[in-house]
Amino acid sequence: MKSLFRGALLAAILGGAGAANAQQLAPSPTLDAIRARGHLECGVHLGLPGFSFANDKGEWSGLDVDYCRALAAAVLGDATKVRFTPTSVQQRWPVLQSGQVDVLSRNTTITYSRNVTLGVNFQGINFYEGQTFIVRTASGAKKPSDLENASICVAAGSTEERMAADYFRERNLKVSIINFQKNDDAIAAYDAGRCDSYTAGLGALAGQRIKLKNPAEHTIMTETISNDPQGPVTRWGDERWQAIVRWVLNGQIAAENLGVTSRNVDDFRANSKNAEIRRLLGADGGFGAMLGLSNDWLFNAIKQVGNYAESYERTVGKGSPLGLERGQNQLWTRGGLLFSPPFQ
Amino acid sequence: MAELTRLIYDKRAREIFWQVVILLALVIVTVFIVRNASQNMVNAGIASGFDFLWRTSGIDVPFVLTDYTSNSNILGLLWVGVVNTLVVTIVSIIAATLLGFVVGVARLSKNKLLSGIAGAFIEIVRNIPLLFFVMFWYSLVINALPAPRQSIGIFSVAFLNNRGLTIPVPVEGSAFKIAALVILAGIVGQAAIAIWAKRRRDATGQIFPAWATGLVLLIGLPVLAFGIAGFATTWDLPAFRGFNFRGGFVLVPEFVALFLALTVYTAGFIAEVVRGGIQAVVKGQWEAAYALGLRPNRTLSLVVIPQAMRVMIPPMTSQYLNVLKNSSFGAAIAYPDLVSVFVGSALNNTGQAIEIIAITLAIYLAIGLAVSGFMNWYNAKTALVTR
Repeated sequence: MKSLFRGALLAAILGGAGAANAQQLAPSPTLDAIRARGHLECGVHLGLPGFSFANDKGEWSGLDVDYCRALAAAVLGDATKVRFTPTSVQQRWPVLQSGQVDVLSRNTTITYSRNVTLGVNFQGINFYEGQTFIVRTASGAKKPSDLENASICVAAGSTEERMAADYFRERNLKVSIINFQKNDDAIAAYDAGRCDSYTAGLGALAGQRIKLKNPAEHTIMTETISNDPQGPVTRWGDERWQAIVRWVLNGQIAAENLGVTSRNVDDFRANSKNAEIRRLLGADGGFGAMLGLSNDWLFNAIKQVGNYAESYERTVGKGSPLGLERGQNQLWTRGGLLFSPPFQ
Repeated sequence: MAELTRLIYDKRAREIFWQVVILLALVIVTVFIVRNASQNMVNAGIASGFDFLWRTSGIDVPFVLTDYTSNSNILGLLWVGVVNTLVVTIVSIIAATLLGFVVGVARLSKNKLLSGIAGAFIEIVRNIPLLFFVMFWYSLVINALPAPRQSIGIFSVAFLNNRGLTIPVPVEGSAFKIAALVILAGIVGQAAIAIWAKRRRDATGQIFPAWATGLVLLIGLPVLAFGIAGFATTWDLPAFRGFNFRGGFVLVPEFVALFLALTVYTAGFIAEVVRGGIQAVVKGQWEAAYALGLRPNRTLSLVVIPQAMRVMIPPMTSQYLNVLKNSSFGAAIAYPDLVSVFVGSALNNTGQAIEIIAITLAIYLAIGLAVSGFMNWYNAKTALVTR
């Protein structure tokens, strides 16, 4: 009896050690929590057409929203298992820090001080843009330095608020910067004539412009005064979750580079001879399992949401009201800045 | 042992015991919360401490009464917020009290039209959320005023447009400092005359027209002093350049809208306090005053209002504290008050939420306690002496 018990114990220890050896996974509290509750919690913008915008039926769409859907598909196998938490410029950090959301995908500029003082990590870049200004075409202002003595509406606490102050101070141009609590309040005040200009990233301006009473009367300046790279944000800690967030984005970009789209992804998984495509789609290599996910994690993301290009064109690109060029957000092979590290 | 038993039954000892227990519990809970929060912040990689106050703020504020620029540190930004909050609060309190008194007295008027209008005003403002008022005035101010190019010029020195009222400011203020001293002397003189007039009235029953000297000392003297000072100094005149006027001081529309909203809204409540206070004075006082031959106006100002004040002061304190707190609605329309610049901009740029919220709470608490301290002192001073 005693030896039987000892044998069982030994087997259990060996078995357990074996299992641990096979996986070598640090625990991921975030992933466990997502599985337990059955959906991903994603922090998005309050409402910015092209990036995260809820229509009158409450259906969210946009580039940042698409990323969350892809992440949900990768983690839970279902792109619809995601709940969106709209956050203002001010709310986004506490919402992420306190664990209310698993990831923040919210048109948020990556900056040094945010990274090192807020306890957050930026997991790659899904949108490159620069800060610029929108003005009434009739004003005749063509570039930011034409804005002397202008009133400029901006969201308080945004990077744009300080960037604009820096830009005009350095050039000894006096402007009046009016800080609103929400982007929507700032754009509404601009529309009402309180300000001569509203400043934000190029993409955000293109999105906000749709909301103006008469979009045709306004011009977005082409000259930018900063580089605003944006991408999904996570809390510090939980390295495995951070890796998942990072590599889902990389996976979407890699898929575009490899020519994998939501339409041909089945065919590629079944028939492709390309080793990287096979690893990406889970036909080979067991890459999903390395993160504690199913091997078809990126297959699901691409099948259900699409690769980066599909997402871009649908939300902010030519297929959308924003009609933005790919520009910097093109793959590096086509003159842009996007690339994914190899799925090796 | 017997001593101990006696202590248990001693009411005073029991009271002290429980107060000590509650105080200790409070201290322990506070220490626990602070330690827990700071430990969690360290674990989450969030910076803490108050060093950020000395970092350069980099934020441009459109309405500044201090010497703040975007090169100043965050402490300077905090001070801008405090000053802006205090300015709009004090100005609104004064205006709301005046308007509230007028409306409150009008509400009790025998003239049906007047009391009807006052009643309608009170009911409308009391039943509409303040945020609506703030937004309403803001859009009204912005939409009613012309764009900078079509500014309304006032003698070609001040200009009114939807970016605010731009007024000239003196380049060098010494003449105005002298003028301010002259005005101060006028105020002191008028106060002395008022006290003397009251003493004489109490002693002899003769009424000295203190309002006439007041007209001269409180209105005429400042006009004269500023007029002379205005000629004696050089001015920074607003001039149109680029998009808007350059130079001078700008009274922003956000200030005006918040001031109007706070004043009108609070006046509705103060009017009810005034009405309640006046109605609390027993009818016999009116009748007694009439019997002495006092006219209704004098009865109201000499007999009824002084007694009504005693009823009105405590609720009035609440209204004043509400103005202070409600001034934070300015954040909704970009008035750079404490909440807007500190909790809005600074918090976001530094991410130090706990420190910034704690500082903000402490400042509101300090100002609030100062207001209610003053009102309590005034209440004690005017309270009916009873035995």
